[in-house]
Amino acid sequence: MRILFQIRPILAALRSHKTAVMLLMLEIALTMAVLGNLVFVVYGTVQRSRVPTGVDESRIGVIQSIGVIGTANSGTIENDLAVLQAVPDVVAATYGGPPLWFTQRDSVFLDPSHGHKLGRVYEFQGSQGLSRTLGARIVHGVDLDDNEIPAVTRYTPTMEIPVLMTKALGQHLFPDGRALGGVIYDSGNNPLRVVGIVDHLRGSITGSPDDDWSIVTEFMYGHQDGGGGFMIRVRDAAQLPEALRAAAAALQKANPGHVSNKTFTMAELRADYFKSDLASGRMLVAILLILLVVTALGVSGLASFWVQQRRRQIGMRRALGATRRDILRYFQAENFLIVSGGVLLGAVFAYALNLFLMRRFELAHLPAHYLLAGAVVLWLLGQLAVLGPALRASAVPPVVATRSV
Amino acid sequence: MFGYYLDLALRSLKRNRMLTALMVLAIGLGIGASMTMLTVLHVMTADPVPGRSARLFYPQVDPQPMENYKKGEGPPDLWTWTDAMNLLHDGKGVRQAAMSGGQVTVVPPGGVTRAFNAHARYTTADFFAMFGLSFADGGGWDAGDDGKRARVAVITRQLADKLYGTPHAAGRTLRLGKYDFRVAGVVDDWHPVPHFYDLNMGDYADPEQVYVPLGTAIGLKLSTMGSMSCWGDFPQDGDMAKASGCMWMQYWVELDTPAQVAAYRQYLVHYSEDQKQLGRFERAPNTRLRDVMQWLDYNHVVPGSVQLQTLLALGFLLVCLVNTVALLLVKFLRRGGELSVRRAMGASRRSVFVQLLVEAALVGLAGGVIGLLLSLFGLWVVRQQPTQYAGLAHLDTTMSAATFALAVCATLLAAVFPAWRACRLVPARLLKTQ
Repeated sequence: MRILFQIRPILAALRSHKTAVMLLMLEIALTMAVLGNLVFVVYGTVQRSRVPTGVDESRIGVIQSIGVIGTANSGTIENDLAVLQAVPDVVAATYGGPPLWFTQRDSVFLDPSHGHKLGRVYEFQGSQGLSRTLGARIVHGVDLDDNEIPAVTRYTPTMEIPVLMTKALGQHLFPDGRALGGVIYDSGNNPLRVVGIVDHLRGSITGSPDDDWSIVTEFMYGHQDGGGGFMIRVRDAAQLPEALRAAAAALQKANPGHVSNKTFTMAELRADYFKSDLASGRMLVAILLILLVVTALGVSGLASFWVQQRRRQIGMRRALGATRRDILRYFQAENFLIVSGGVLLGAVFAYALNLFLMRRFELAHLPAHYLLAGAVVLWLLGQLAVLGPALRASAVPPVVATRSV
Repeated sequence: MFGYYLDLALRSLKRNRMLTALMVLAIGLGIGASMTMLTVLHVMTADPVPGRSARLFYPQVDPQPMENYKKGEGPPDLWTWTDAMNLLHDGKGVRQAAMSGGQVTVVPPGGVTRAFNAHARYTTADFFAMFGLSFADGGGWDAGDDGKRARVAVITRQLADKLYGTPHAAGRTLRLGKYDFRVAGVVDDWHPVPHFYDLNMGDYADPEQVYVPLGTAIGLKLSTMGSMSCWGDFPQDGDMAKASGCMWMQYWVELDTPAQVAAYRQYLVHYSEDQKQLGRFERAPNTRLRDVMQWLDYNHVVPGSVQLQTLLALGFLLVCLVNTVALLLVKFLRRGGELSVRRAMGASRRSVFVQLLVEAALVGLAGGVIGLLLSLFGLWVVRQQPTQYAGLAHLDTTMSAATFALAVCATLLAAVFPAWRACRLVPARLLKTQ
């Protein structure tokens, strides 16, 4: 209640410093606009970096093995897969790559003449065992069957190929809900028949809904030699590094003419995929912290000035019976009023900046609770910044009133 | 007079060290943060081939079928083999080169077990002279080598050192996969930023290590890399020269005079018309001819995250300026008494104004020093980040000078309003209350 009684004199005092008060409010408003939008951008990045791809990420490892053309090589993919399967703890192995790693995109159509384009999808192609190794969850229909997938040697440009499709892509292509059993075409002429629906399989993670538009096809490989990505899935995530090392060594032994360029776990791949975005996020947070420091310095500087300027008035109030606490409260209430004004203006600025960013950078709409959180942060910051000068003010002795300036 | 103002300013600044320090720090932080981001932007939007960029052009034609045709849509960014070869054959530019990215397996003299993959560029003879690469040893190949699909290659100095331990590797044998090539020349380090001539490899990708004649590479079916867009069937045997319905190449041309540029624009339209008459093209002539900077702009090369950071850094500078205006305002107004005495003793408004600006400029100068140090630190931090462009973030002399200029100008600008307010005070009233 006491604070309420004080508001009128505070407003009267502020009126005589109109320009400085307005500048301070403007500064707080600008800070709030930048603060709200920046936190929103960074939080979006962090959230995106946690979106799962839908595969059994913690148990998957990749070996990039490249055949050197012209060197004698006895390896065959069939044998390579057998060698990988034989490594302790490996439950599945395949010739093919994981999500987030050189994923291919192709257009899909509902008719073989390619008249009506339905969108671009991620195509996961590999040997037998690709779907098992990825470990994506099948929610409808069945998994690809080694007995039904086409042999790569018998491939013709018009044969029907069974595919797995993500739920999201199924809903997009077949809004009537009959994706299972449906047929689509990619830019080739092969009809692709949907035999199973997987929960999620994201080819890349950009935040767009079509990240989750994927299909999986398998071909039966036998005596062909092939290089590229091999993938293994292990039973126990803790054993993955060990199993991956053993698998790479076994593959190298089976394929002396191959160069093993890289081995990595899916977790490492994910960390690598997002490191640039997260680094940008860290830089933005650093800018934000400096910005808050500068604003606090500004608030503190102005408050110090006013305290110095009003030493005599403070002394008079003290002489007339105001307690130290009253003086402290006065400066705190004054700060609260100024910051509140700034916050109100800042909410408008924040929305304006957000509208601009939405148009320029395809940012989403700024939710209102970000503004509320921004306001709370600025109120706390203001109180913290004013505490020093306010304490100094409350320490002014009443005797100052009797001295001339 | 200036010396006197300087003296007054120093005294005034010394009187309240705390506040002076606050102002200098606020300006320094604002300048430091915004200059860090502006430098990153400056580096990323820099001209990748200074002195040549206005003469190098990327032509575009539209060989796609009528299917999915949208009126007003620009032509595609890539070239088909047939069109690139036709243009190359016509040779209407001063120099021209068709190209594609690729990947080769380099087998070092040490043996197959040490083999590694390297990025390659499959291109034609003019590439080196047109883009201004300099040779440490040997030279490029000529149009004859392109025609007869000679097995020659140009490698970078870095690769030559790695393979042969010397940059003087011309004439040596380079084994790529199962084929032997003769090293025609070794190019000095060349790192155009951005990787303007083929943006499909990543805007800030490193340049290739191996250059091979385009015809040779396609004839040997070396693997190509980059973006590809097809409307027709892709040949089953993987022979890219037969992929008539696929666009996957880049084409650059050098044109030295405005007349040549105009003639080339005409040529592209005529070419498209001719191809339509031949039945190869279905669409009406839809051509473009952009120089390097226009090409980068058209492709939105600067990442959105950098633009966003720059924008926020500028917002940040604005906050710091408002902060400075507020602090200077209270500082100047508080000295009303002193200023009134000066005015009463005969100083004009103008000289009071100048005196206050000198004081502000001193603050700005100190802020500039701090800002420069902070942006050096900021850029060091940026270089530690695992971003694609991190290695490029360096402060050059232009940007250092710009930092100082920005600090002083910003502070002077911030001081104009407070100083104007301060010299409009009525001396008599203030003197009376004293």
